[in-house]
Amino acid sequence: MSLKVNNLSAGIGNLCILHDIDLKIEKGTLNVLMGPNGSGKSTFASVLMGNPKYKRVEKKPYLSLNGKDISNFEPHERAKCGLFLAFQNPSGIPGVSVANLLKTSYQTVQRSDNTPSKKSAHNPALSVFKFHQELVLTAERIGVPRDFLGRSLDGDFSGGEKKKLEMLQAIVLKPKYAVFDEIDTGLDVDALKTIAGAILELKKKGTGILVVTHYHRILEYAKPDVVHVLVKGRIVASGGCKLALEIEKNGYSKWSKSKN
Amino acid sequence: MPYTSLNSLSSYRYGFHKPEKYFYKSKKGLSEKTVEEISGIKNEPDWMREYRLKALKVFCKKKLPSWGGDLGKINFDDIYYYIKPTENKVSSWKDLPAEIKDTYDKIGIPEAEKKFLGGISAQYESEVVYKSIKKALSKKGVVFLDMDSGLREYASLVKEYFGTVVPMEDNKFAALNSAVWSGGSFIYVPKGVKVDLPLQAYFRINAANMGQFERTLIIADSGSFVHYVEGCTAPIYSTDSLHSAVVEIIVKKGARVRYSTIQNWSKNVYNLVTKRMRVEEEGIGEWVDGNIGSKLTMKYPSVYLVGKGARGEILSVAYAGKDAHQDAGGKVIHIAPFTTSKITSKSVSVDGGRTSYRGLVQVLPSALHSKTKVVCDALIIDSKSRSDTYPTMDIRTSKTQVEHEATVSRIGDEQLFYLQSRGLKKEEAEAMIVNGFIEPIVKELPLEYAVELNRLILLEMDGSVG
Ligand SMILES: Nc1ncnc2c1ncn2[C@@H]1O[C@H](COP(=O)(O)OP(=O)(O)OP(=O)(O)O)[C@@H](O)[C@H]1O
Ligand SMILES: [Mg+2]
Repeated sequence: MSLKVNNLSAGIGNLCILHDIDLKIEKGTLNVLMGPNGSGKSTFASVLMGNPKYKRVEKKPYLSLNGKDISNFEPHERAKCGLFLAFQNPSGIPGVSVANLLKTSYQTVQRSDNTPSKKSAHNPALSVFKFHQELVLTAERIGVPRDFLGRSLDGDFSGGEKKKLEMLQAIVLKPKYAVFDEIDTGLDVDALKTIAGAILELKKKGTGILVVTHYHRILEYAKPDVVHVLVKGRIVASGGCKLALEIEKNGYSKWSKSKN
Repeated sequence: MPYTSLNSLSSYRYGFHKPEKYFYKSKKGLSEKTVEEISGIKNEPDWMREYRLKALKVFCKKKLPSWGGDLGKINFDDIYYYIKPTENKVSSWKDLPAEIKDTYDKIGIPEAEKKFLGGISAQYESEVVYKSIKKALSKKGVVFLDMDSGLREYASLVKEYFGTVVPMEDNKFAALNSAVWSGGSFIYVPKGVKVDLPLQAYFRINAANMGQFERTLIIADSGSFVHYVEGCTAPIYSTDSLHSAVVEIIVKKGARVRYSTIQNWSKNVYNLVTKRMRVEEEGIGEWVDGNIGSKLTMKYPSVYLVGKGARGEILSVAYAGKDAHQDAGGKVIHIAPFTTSKITSKSVSVDGGRTSYRGLVQVLPSALHSKTKVVCDALIIDSKSRSDTYPTMDIRTSKTQVEHEATVSRIGDEQLFYLQSRGLKKEEAEAMIVNGFIEPIVKELPLEYAVELNRLILLEMDGSVG
């Protein structure tokens, strides 16, 4: 069982940002994607989630989730299949509270689940109530104060708080595969540990994870199984944890020079 | 989302027909005879009959407003001006026709969620609640009647205030209403009495106050408080193409009145309403006004700040879908010193709909040290739709503080993608953004109305977009 990317090239207009990407995220593994600014990491994450902004160079299948081809799925259909993206810069919606967003999202994603609980379909109120209770507990566990849930996601939260709220959504939605785009950027030491802990917990429950990061730091708490390096839209190296350490020391110059 | 079978719902979009059982129907068209007949059937005092006749003359003389929406298609000769239904009041929820209940259930809150939200299920046993509320009210001396009963039982009070806030000469439609009014509510709140629960016309669906030419008069005596809620979110089908109501509110010294309306007329209706409050010293007058359906709505709730330190607030939200034009906004006249006002308008246009914000703030030379703020935000969903603002500020003293902000926005692709990535279909994502946009106003509504309004927007968006 895996999320499999097959020979993906994509971009905007005439600009090709991603070139021939092959990548596989196995169920219950932690994968890391590193690369210089502008190398295409966020674009990649966004294309995985089906952002219509980006166009593929060739219209052939490029993405399968547990064997199912989802290349032509819209973002909401991908979400329902169990794919999740934590945004580098989440754009909140004025007037829509975190709790409301999560409830709606949970209900839609849950409904499409293969095992719809008859109980909750029968009595949505009960599930709504239980949902709120659980939400508050989960939030507390990762250091999100209860009152955050009533606020809207658009702007008033600090950088680090926004990242925590992305993580909260991941935990609540229990995705099969999750991409975290720079979830560690701007976090204080304690928050970093918490977030790393949450990632490990998801992994333990079987979620296949891709963490996009610039820093080795988070990997000290959450040891990755595989590290990939993206330079100018190409995967130029893949390896174990050591690769991340090496990048921390020497940067990307080795790859940047070699290929154009 | 909760709406699985939209096709089955679309037949409800235009609401319900009132049962065609009439006790009395006046002839089509407007004449002195019609007006005399209306007054006669109601057994009204002479002064009211004369008032109506005089208003008819004013109506005939006045021209249609040259601004706002297109009123040229209204045929005044093709309208029944008075219809008395056989049943004046629906005695219980059970007695409502099945298709009406169905509509309400579809728009309404699922049984279970109602319980979770608490207390809302009471809506569905309206008559029981209505009676118990009335009992509690009359203990405090609060009068809550339909306007016809008000005139009968509180003749002198009605005579003293009727037409003092909205005179018949005000505009053509105010004159029309003054000539042929029927139904509406009459409320009197005695000195110092605070009514904690909102008074809801909702309880009397299909009853007298849902008429075509409603007339409402609210008098809040010194230091009192009342919140009146009118209308409902369910679409109201009407064969009458013209609805023209007048609402007059007197807020006495230190009193506070809030009047909330949500209207969702079917798409053949011209909804032309004159609503005005007169606020005396240190009083507070607030309009919360929501307009969804209709062909054309022209409605600008007004506040006249006549007493020192009086305060007025207008919250207006308009949603214009296909073929609809919502010309809405607010009007504040600062007459006394140290008065403050705020107008907040939010409009959404979608699927070729058109919204206009039309506002007037006037600060007279006598209104020294007044403050006013106008904020109007428009959200345009697609390129077929349209939004305009016509803000007028007429400031005649320099000793005043005036603020005005206006924004026009569209739904951002990034916002859409974000919500879609959370499992929402495009239409659901758009509806959520719209609901978020109007949230600052919707949160001022009683909870059950807010919940229903949110659902309604989702329903409308899902049907109209994509
Ligand atoms: N709409 C666009 N038009 C033109 N260029 C774009 C557009 N969107 C992205 N790009 C370019 O694509 C490249 C990849 O951007 P992307 O955001 O994927 O980089 P990244 O690897 O996530 O960088 P960072 O580490 O800074 O987050 C950048 O050079 C960016 O400027
Ligand atoms: Mg990035």
